[in-house]
Amino acid sequence: MQPKRILVALAGSSADPDVIRLVAWIAKPAKAEVVGIHVIEVRWNLPLDAVMEPELDRGEELLESAKKVADQAGLDLETELLQARDAAAAIVDTAVERKCDLIVVAMPYRKRLGRVYVGRTVQNVYVNAPCAVLAYRQEETK
Amino acid sequence: MSGEEPERPDTPSLEKRVTQPGRHVGDRYVRIMRPTGSGIKGHGGRYVATEQTMDRTGRVGHAWDGAVRFLIGKRLHSDAESEERVSVATGLPILASDNISSSAYATEEAMRILAIAGTAALALTMPIALAVVFVLAIVILSESRVIRAYPNGGGSYLVARENHGVIAGLVAASALLIDYVLTVAVSTAAGVAAISSFFPELHTQRVAVGVVLIAVLAIANLRGVREAGLLFAAPTYAYMLAMYGLLAFGLFRIFAGDVPAPVAPPDPFLPEGTAALSILLVLRAFASGSVGLTGSEAVANGVPSFRRPEARNAVITLVLMGTIFATIFLGVTYLATRIGIQPDQSEIETVNSMITRAVVGTGTPFYYFVQITTAVILLLAANTGFTGFPRLASVLANDRFMPRHFADVGSRMAFNTGIVVLSVLAAVILAAFGGSVNALVPLYTIGVFLAFTLSQSGLVRRWRRLRNPGWRLSIVINSFGAVVTGTVLIVVAVTKFALGAWMVMILIPVIVALLYAINRHYQTTQDALVLSGPEQRVPVYAAPVVIVPIARLDRAALQSLAFARSVSPTVKAVHVSTSRASADEFRARWNRLDTDVALDVVESPFRSLVQPLLRYIDAIDKSDDRPITVVLSEFVPRHWWEWFLHSQTAFRLKAALLFRPNTIVIDVPYHYQDTADLARR
Repeated sequence: MQPKRILVALAGSSADPDVIRLVAWIAKPAKAEVVGIHVIEVRWNLPLDAVMEPELDRGEELLESAKKVADQAGLDLETELLQARDAAAAIVDTAVERKCDLIVVAMPYRKRLGRVYVGRTVQNVYVNAPCAVLAYRQEETK
Repeated sequence: MSGEEPERPDTPSLEKRVTQPGRHVGDRYVRIMRPTGSGIKGHGGRYVATEQTMDRTGRVGHAWDGAVRFLIGKRLHSDAESEERVSVATGLPILASDNISSSAYATEEAMRILAIAGTAALALTMPIALAVVFVLAIVILSESRVIRAYPNGGGSYLVARENHGVIAGLVAASALLIDYVLTVAVSTAAGVAAISSFFPELHTQRVAVGVVLIAVLAIANLRGVREAGLLFAAPTYAYMLAMYGLLAFGLFRIFAGDVPAPVAPPDPFLPEGTAALSILLVLRAFASGSVGLTGSEAVANGVPSFRRPEARNAVITLVLMGTIFATIFLGVTYLATRIGIQPDQSEIETVNSMITRAVVGTGTPFYYFVQITTAVILLLAANTGFTGFPRLASVLANDRFMPRHFADVGSRMAFNTGIVVLSVLAAVILAAFGGSVNALVPLYTIGVFLAFTLSQSGLVRRWRRLRNPGWRLSIVINSFGAVVTGTVLIVVAVTKFALGAWMVMILIPVIVALLYAINRHYQTTQDALVLSGPEQRVPVYAAPVVIVPIARLDRAALQSLAFARSVSPTVKAVHVSTSRASADEFRARWNRLDTDVALDVVESPFRSLVQPLLRYIDAIDKSDDRPITVVLSEFVPRHWWEWFLHSQTAFRLKAALLFRPNTIVIDVPYHYQDTADLARR
């Protein structure tokens, strides 16, 4: 598979730099366009377009950091900040709107009740995305 | 626009929010679109410019940024201001090095005057030194009161202004500004003299070496107060170590009965002297020795530079400074008189150098240690000027007595304008006096004693007014301080008048008048600009009459015409032609243009373009009540050097219209685009 447009969802976790390097490794030979998005989830008691300054600042910072990692990896990364009720739906909808053929999501290694925990967003993207989805799980922390 | 008012949909904004429908009901999401790489952070009309916005663009800009950052270091955030403050340990070298370093030459300055009356008169050096230390003790006691009364700094200027009035404050400020410039010049000259004591070849190059050293100090200070302090701390403590070591060893030898043999100066004074020993000569020697009191005002002026509690730390530094100066000064004076050192008439070798040679021997490592640390601390003493002048200038600028640039804080929290101006002035004075310490010293002490006297007497008035607990004791201390420093001021002014003090006495009123004139200008400007009430409506103007001077019908002209039409419906194009034929030709071309803009053609048989155009604008202005707006089209070439190939009529017109009242000038730049670019568009 040679993806032409890749969407990479960034949550600000420690897995973000790894997943950007992975995407660079996939995108560069295929000369694919890459867009990195971060979705701020808005609680139902707030309007959808509420200005949530700490979350916006954090989102901008993590997208800036992602751009720096992408620059170091030789990848031209376009970034976008979104606000939505459900991050997974916004990721999938953005991928559809931008005609992406691959969504890459990252999972930091974490456990709940003795089992590796995937998380709601990654699961929902997996289930609902019409295109290919690549989930990168960080290695087990020693 | 205030945060509460809704923005018009077409108002430009750094952040756009577009709501997207999503594929399912309830999946709506908001896309937040922001220009990337602008370096401006924030949301909802509140933005912060990050360090990225400070970066210049282009190769020249990058190179300039790189060079500036290499020289003065990384930019500091405003929040780092408190970290830039100094402790007692770092404050001592920054603010007290001037006073401490005076111990390197105060003895010599007094001896140099006494030696005029012959070598026997040198016996009076010690009593004079004791008198100087007594005055210093009074000054320090009084200055500690200044610090407690004015913990926010400002020193003599603030005290004099608040208690004696603006003029007295300006006199104190002028005296201190002069003194700070002279501190840099004198200290640099003395530092170079100390170096030339063991490198005599440098004596002929002393001005050039001094100017280079001033430049180095300026760069160090542009890097910020704390960094300058850290840089200067080690040499100051090394000087103290060297001098206390020298004094201890010298005193040990004397008390052990092994009095060192005196070292002869390269160019001694005549043993019988050239003048009789008179009261005036003794007073002159005292006035010259009083040079050791300079720099003691720097601590009171720089209180805000200290960490909390600022006043307490400043007083500790002040007392430490006085103690260190007094012990070294008295010790050096004792060794000089006991050993029988004579000053060098031609200033090639310093008294300190001769004492060190006598005590530890010529060419020994300790001799070089003393000479090098002396040279370095004398240079660091110049740093007191760099700390005081920019800070005082910023206080004066905030009070609108000096240009506002002096209050601007640079990228390293330093007052860059003050530092640069001080460096230039000090370098000019150093060069004008040929780098001679002896020639510069007579100018030096007047300013500081004038400021001391004004601040001491100002405090007396303050205590009388406020009557705080202990006010009577404070009045006694400050009255005594005012009398002592006032007496020294009169002595210095009289004895050094002919030697150069007259220059300072002329300069002080000139600077006061200048500062006052600057303040008057700012006052009248503020009166003209200030809003009459808190609630003001933005006035609504009628659309202006727009005049578009056009030299040639080209793309730049069409762009400026299009812009003019967007500003007002009343647009007049005007072309100045040098001949009837070219006027007719221009009108013919204009008539082929698809526009509703009217054209006037002015023939100029004397070939001048700018003057007829200015008269034309005057005539239109008289015939119409509406404001005049002149839209200039300016061609901007691709490279800076291509400017010289174009006539720059727009630039000349802009300059001519700059001071024309009620005229708005709008420059419409037309940037060079190559024909390939234009074809693509």
